[in-house]
Amino acid sequence: MTEFKLPELGENVHQGDLVRLMISPGTTVAEGQAVMELETDKAVVEVPSSVSGTVKDVLVKLGEKIKVGQVIFTVENGAGGKRVEARAPSAPTAKSEPKPATTAPKTAPSEANPVQSASPKATTPAPIVPSESSEVSEFKLPELGENIHQGDLVRLMISPGAQVSEGQPVMELETDKAVVEVPSSLSGIVKDVLVSQGEQIKVGQLIFTLEPGATSQTHTQQPSRAEESHDHARMAFQAAIQSEGKTEEQALPPDQPPAAAVATFSMPLHLDRAAGAENRGPVPAAPHVRRLARELGIDIHNVPGNGPGGRISEADVKMYAKSVIVAVASGTGPGATHLKQPALPDFGKWGKIERVSMRGVRRKTAEHMWEAWSAIPHVTQQDKADITELEQLRTKFGPKAAEAGGKMTVTAIALKVCASALKIFPQFNASIDMEKEEIVYKQFINIGVAVDTDRGLLVPVIRDVEKKNIVELAAELTGLSKKARDKKLSPADMEGGTFTITNLGGIGGTGFSPIVNYPEVAILGLSRSSMEPVWMNGKFEARMVLPLSLSYDHRLIDGADAARFLRWIAEAFEQPFLLSVQG
Amino acid sequence: MTEALQQNIAVVGGGPGGYAAAFLAADLGMKVTLIDREQNPGGVCLYRGCIPSKALLHVAKLIGESRHANNWGIEFGDPRIDVARLRSFKEGVVNKLTGGLGQIAKARKVQYIRGDASFENSNTVRIAKNAGGEDSLTFDRIILATGSRPAVVPSLKLDSQRMLDSTSALDLKDVPDTLLVIGGGYIGLELGTVYAALGSKVSVVEMTGGLLPGADRDLVLPLYKQLEKVFDAILLNTTVTAVKEEASGIRVCFDGKDVKEREKVFDKVLVSVGRKPNSEIPGLDRTQVRVGERGFIQVNKHLQTDDPAIYAIGDVVGEPMLAHKASHEGRTAAEHIAGHKVAFEPNAIPAVVFTDPEIAWTGLTETQAEKDGREIKVAKFPWAASGRAMTVDRTEGLTKLILDPGTERVLGVGIVGAGAGELIAEGTLAIEMAALAKDIALTIHPHPTLSETVMQSAEVFFGTSTDLYRPRR
Ligand SMILES: Cc1cc2nc3c(=O)[nH]c(=O)nc-3n(C[C@H](O)[C@H](O)[C@H](O)COP(=O)(O)OP(=O)(O)OC[C@H]3O[C@@H](n4cnc5c(N)ncnc54)[C@H](O)[C@@H]3O)c2cc1C
Repeated sequence: MTEFKLPELGENVHQGDLVRLMISPGTTVAEGQAVMELETDKAVVEVPSSVSGTVKDVLVKLGEKIKVGQVIFTVENGAGGKRVEARAPSAPTAKSEPKPATTAPKTAPSEANPVQSASPKATTPAPIVPSESSEVSEFKLPELGENIHQGDLVRLMISPGAQVSEGQPVMELETDKAVVEVPSSLSGIVKDVLVSQGEQIKVGQLIFTLEPGATSQTHTQQPSRAEESHDHARMAFQAAIQSEGKTEEQALPPDQPPAAAVATFSMPLHLDRAAGAENRGPVPAAPHVRRLARELGIDIHNVPGNGPGGRISEADVKMYAKSVIVAVASGTGPGATHLKQPALPDFGKWGKIERVSMRGVRRKTAEHMWEAWSAIPHVTQQDKADITELEQLRTKFGPKAAEAGGKMTVTAIALKVCASALKIFPQFNASIDMEKEEIVYKQFINIGVAVDTDRGLLVPVIRDVEKKNIVELAAELTGLSKKARDKKLSPADMEGGTFTITNLGGIGGTGFSPIVNYPEVAILGLSRSSMEPVWMNGKFEARMVLPLSLSYDHRLIDGADAARFLRWIAEAFEQPFLLSVQG
Repeated sequence: MTEALQQNIAVVGGGPGGYAAAFLAADLGMKVTLIDREQNPGGVCLYRGCIPSKALLHVAKLIGESRHANNWGIEFGDPRIDVARLRSFKEGVVNKLTGGLGQIAKARKVQYIRGDASFENSNTVRIAKNAGGEDSLTFDRIILATGSRPAVVPSLKLDSQRMLDSTSALDLKDVPDTLLVIGGGYIGLELGTVYAALGSKVSVVEMTGGLLPGADRDLVLPLYKQLEKVFDAILLNTTVTAVKEEASGIRVCFDGKDVKEREKVFDKVLVSVGRKPNSEIPGLDRTQVRVGERGFIQVNKHLQTDDPAIYAIGDVVGEPMLAHKASHEGRTAAEHIAGHKVAFEPNAIPAVVFTDPEIAWTGLTETQAEKDGREIKVAKFPWAASGRAMTVDRTEGLTKLILDPGTERVLGVGIVGAGAGELIAEGTLAIEMAALAKDIALTIHPHPTLSETVMQSAEVFFGTSTDLYRPRR
């Protein structure tokens, strides 16, 4: 009998919550086959088995916290059983621990024996997961980030015969924003390389193919991987943007008036001036390290040096690059405007406490909310919409939406209403670029809808809302909400929003002040509609009333405009005939 | 990258900045045109600067050493100097080097046009060719590397064969009996050294209170002592108020608190009072290039001017006006045009005064640190404690490290002594690599050499020098 223990998941990842178990007693497992999903504080990680055989006992339960080394299950007549030290393939090392992502995989092609690495071995950085069904053996250039569609291939790190593993950087692309390392999503042996250095490569273009047989594919739904490559691209991109503008000092200070009589000597006494740097002193880094920093778009003066006397090594620069990017992406970096949280008291003094790591979505939400709250001067405008007539319409069109696979909810209708309002009030469909002192008006309407999932708050985005009718919107919303709850949302599903709707009506409440989803400038909150007496036609009538709460960025939007915008929305709800259902 | 392949660039000025830029640009796949008035690339440095001056200084050093040999019981007698042959040796060196550059330009398919460049607009250069006729050529990018020329001071302007500047001094028409060098900067001292060795009675006049203004005094002192012997007079705190040509020579009027002789006649007068950037390029006003008050073309760290099509490098963009700075800038500009993310941002630029003894420094100087109010620690190793210095009977030298007190990192190195110019390279590497005093102390240096003094000065810093006992602090 053989035991399978939780292998190392990556540096600083010591435990995780078991969110999905894919085996039960009696299941046959093969080495490399995914057996469970763990949610660590970094991401959800799929854990492959290192043993083969028939599962006898499963010693863990869904929801349980599992530590590295803990026994997960035992197998009978196990064929495997060798200790696999390898890292889980999806350990998102790049996010927090830059080292393994760059160093380990990079050395792989030269060191790893292709034959050996065709099957998972103790030394391979990423075990290969043989995929039974659809064998993908082509690697195409993945999405690199918003607005990056192509790049120049500046460095190719693979050649035919090379062994690649998932996550391993295979090339460097120079986009108009930054140089980006592109990781492979496949593992196997490279057959043909279809691009060459210097070539311009587009998203989706075929980069290389693998030898048939020993291939494996990324599980595209796996959030960790998708997030990782996405973050990676974004990281480089942000760092580059950040550094722009800092590097353009003038080489010479304002000229001094010519020396009184004759200046005789002109040797390098004012190196700082000649070199154009402000007086920051020479940075303790070798020339090639400084050049690397420049290539990565990093101000070398900000890089902490770990060598003697604060000397900055190549590794320090790379480490810093990644940290900047992660920080920028999560809003904690130099770009973030908020202050540090004041120190906490010792709560233990007053009673028993429990500390639970803030993981995954919760941590992201915390960071994002903090960022939004500190960056945006919020005001919330309240209003009420009489939706008595709309309710009739909703009931009437319910079946039609159901036919299309959706549910005719107030949110679905609100999507349509808001899209129409945003067309009329474009400043609500904008962002502020304080640095450039510009307002960015978006000529598209993508509305995010806050979805409450058991993992926390997620905001999938519905695109081009103004071009869709309510029935279509209802169907799409239903689909996206389900995707959110099934943890199937990809980062792309949550990007590119221009406005957000959050509906707490299902739970209750008469109003609240939602936080604007930065970098958007407004968010509409819906509370529970209820029957209220409304003074109409000289008497009180029982009407269905929907409370509306609009929070907005007061930097861009004036109070009167907000009141008008919300009134427009309320009226649109009140007079649904104004909104063509087919719309 | 692909863009760079198609770029068509011009480099105006064929000095060490210009040809370095042109050659690298060609290597990076650009189509390059190099424009200069001379027959071959080389610029001031090769035709009338670094190279001819160093050829003559080598000879001066030999003459000096032959005299020095008296100390060791060897007498050569007075040298017989054939100025014509010396001149042709110097010219041979210049021709060989510049001719070589011409060959290299051809081999790299750099189109070399001899002529005078002016601007029609930001991208179009008109070339008045030496051979006659004019070309008007358009380029994607233009690099200005027009260098500098000797500065002229109105009060010293006199149209006379007896008045020299560095260029005519290097022509070596003859060896005057008496020579006044106006300006105690490196060019004046180097050329004064040459003429003194060849037999002229050389006087130097310097407006400020010391030679080589700006250089650390402890480095200048040994040179000063030597020059006091070699030169007829060193007049400090003295300005020349007027020069007049007379039958017997140039009458020079002096003014200043230490002046004893108000007037004196010299056979020849060398004016070396600094250099002026060649930024008065005709038509430059048709571009967006901005020229600062002192005449330097204004550029950013990438050597870009305010005109997106135009870069500028070398002496014309600012101090230090040195060949190696120009060529490093040239290469940086070429790479930037090729789309590389590069900037000119050295941590140290070495400077060498090729007198005897030589003075060399790199990175931070004590003088500069004092000016900036920056705290430093200085470790000095006097060459009197160097075995090698003793074997060559040149113990007047000094090697010092300028260190950051916190990290003990090497921020600057200063050396005076025979061969200081060759020794300074290690200092520059140390600074660029962010070496600590400990690194230098722990690096084995060959014995017996003067390079040991660099290691020994680091040992002095730790109070553990083998060759120099200093009571413990
Ligand atoms: C006597 C002397 C000794 C020196 N010794 C040293 C030394 O030991 N070490 C050191 O590092 N530096 C030394 N220098 C300084 C060194 O020569 C300069 O720093 C260096 O030459 C600058 O190079 P550059 O490329 O900027 O321009 P330059 O070498 O000045 O070249 C500019 C070229 O551009 C040409 N040009 C200008 N305008 C035009 C135009 N419109 N059209 C066409 N061509 C044009 C000029 O004719 C010239 O050939 C010395 C200088 C002198 C005068």
